[in-house]
Amino acid sequence: MSQTAQLTLPPGAQAKATPATVVTAASKVDAIVVVKDLHKTFDPDVKAVAGISFDVKRGEIFGFLGPNGAGKSTTIKILTTLLQMTAGRAVIDGLDVDKEPARIREIIGYAAQDVGVDDDLTGRENLRLQCKFYHIPRPEIEGRVDHILKTVGLVEGADRRAATYSGGMRRRLDLAMALISKPKLLFLDEPTTGLDPQNRIGIWTYIKSLNEQGMTIFLTTQYMEEADRLCDRLCIIDQGKIVAQGTPAELKAEIGADVIQIALKSDGTGNAHDVAREALRRIPGVQEVQDYDAGVLVFAKNGPSLVPQLVRMIDDVGVQISQLTLSAPSLDDVFLKHTGHQMRVEEVKPPSRMIWGARRRPGP
Amino acid sequence: MSLSNYVVEVNGIFGRWIKKTLRRPQFLFFSLVQPIVWFVLFTQAFQSIANIRQAIPGTNPIQYITFESLTGTSSYIQFFTAAVIIQTVISSAMQSGIGMVTDLESGYMDKMRVAPIHRSAILMGKVLSDGVRIVIQTAVIMALGFALGVPIATGVAGLLFLFAIALTFGVAWSGISTFIGLATKNSEATLMISILTTFPLLFLSTAMMPKALLPSWVQTVATYNPMSYIADALHGLIISGFDWGVLGVAALTILAVGAVSLSATTSLFRRTVSV
Repeated sequence: MSQTAQLTLPPGAQAKATPATVVTAASKVDAIVVVKDLHKTFDPDVKAVAGISFDVKRGEIFGFLGPNGAGKSTTIKILTTLLQMTAGRAVIDGLDVDKEPARIREIIGYAAQDVGVDDDLTGRENLRLQCKFYHIPRPEIEGRVDHILKTVGLVEGADRRAATYSGGMRRRLDLAMALISKPKLLFLDEPTTGLDPQNRIGIWTYIKSLNEQGMTIFLTTQYMEEADRLCDRLCIIDQGKIVAQGTPAELKAEIGADVIQIALKSDGTGNAHDVAREALRRIPGVQEVQDYDAGVLVFAKNGPSLVPQLVRMIDDVGVQISQLTLSAPSLDDVFLKHTGHQMRVEEVKPPSRMIWGARRRPGP
Repeated sequence: MSLSNYVVEVNGIFGRWIKKTLRRPQFLFFSLVQPIVWFVLFTQAFQSIANIRQAIPGTNPIQYITFESLTGTSSYIQFFTAAVIIQTVISSAMQSGIGMVTDLESGYMDKMRVAPIHRSAILMGKVLSDGVRIVIQTAVIMALGFALGVPIATGVAGLLFLFAIALTFGVAWSGISTFIGLATKNSEATLMISILTTFPLLFLSTAMMPKALLPSWVQTVATYNPMSYIADALHGLIISGFDWGVLGVAALTILAVGAVSLSATTSLFRRTVSV
């Protein structure tokens, strides 16, 4: 394989490896991932994934958007053969996840939420070892490693121990490790969580370019902006269930109006929500009023001109506003509309340290 | 998946652990500093044991129990060499389990699990690297012993036996720490449990003191303590000569410990890494 074509996967090459017989009749021919009614229950009775169905088309960037604990990582771990499902069925490239995990491992790449690089090895050594894991012929290894180091911009630190890397470098190395086998399907679990904006944009650009070269990408994220910018299609997932799916544009169009989010001060009687909601519904031009945990959501065309009326009305019925936000529909609103609560983004804790020896030293 | 793939995988994982070991300061500590400390401090503190002289009642002319009559040498440091070997080997074995836990904690284990490698290669590569580490550490101790004037009664052939015992016992013992590591999935707990089980066993064995000089309850414990039989074999090789009976018992002890620890570890490992 030529060096310049490292990450190029022509769509034809993917299609011909698919044994058509294994794919169920119901699933689409162009789907590389088909998931039907997937369940995962942890002991004693935690339903991490509570019956989800979706498929990922060949060549697209597909996203799972949801807060921590929604079931994103659990789903990805089941699909990457790291975790056994409780019930349901998942097929990747015609291979049943339950029955043929070994063959699936050969065609997928996975970058976990917690970066899995060996800190005692240099970036180059990490990548070489990864090549051995994927049985890449020895003469090809150095070329591949050099190429991927260049692609992810790690040439400079390649011969330093990963322990000396910054967060962004570690993430890039982890991504390079997931890509070195040229997988057909790449799983990225929260690829930019914990990164600064500059590194985040770098990773986005890189994910886009991988996809443009033909790689199918399944990513999870808790950032609306990330899902909006990257994903061709996405599922919004909350508490183990898919609450909405479609293209970002479709999901936003579903709202079809401006969104005015009004947080209310509690009046002590507990019915501030009801009072405000009923009052606001009477205003001409308001399409819909819906509760959410901190107040009410008003959906209206021409939102900006309605704001004074809304404020006056709420004031008239004796309820106090603590915050008011007006926005064109965003995925935030889609999430809020479907779940009734706001998505809280939490930063992920760094993995626990080793008992002795500085496993993670600060970058130079 | 072919045999050549398996060899590549095991070799890769083996090389990884060797690199990790050599790059960590605690390896230097356990391999060099600790044996020196043990050799120097313990032999200084306890050297008067070698002067022991106890009359045997009812003998005429009076006969004495001496350190030499019990052990075959008048040099405590020669006797103590076996204890340093055992101590270093089990310290080294303890690290094995911690390495496994670190991989579980850091997410590197998942990196390996998601790759198309044989699950057993993960364990095999690690065990082989533990073996090599133990051989190197034993060599360091023997060199140190030579420098301090400890002769080996059985010569080069005996050294080979000594290395074989250190290696096989170390690998068998590393199974215990790996088991604890996989069971607790917590590096601190692994280290604590390992230390708490290992050091008492060492002191309650014949490694540091001839059996006749131990208090009677310790003698009882020492009789059932596998480390005693390893110590007896090493004492023999270093001090007196080949005793096939003692070496046979040591081999059986290692087989027994290894069979239990490695089969338990393997089955727990399978459960940990399989889907």
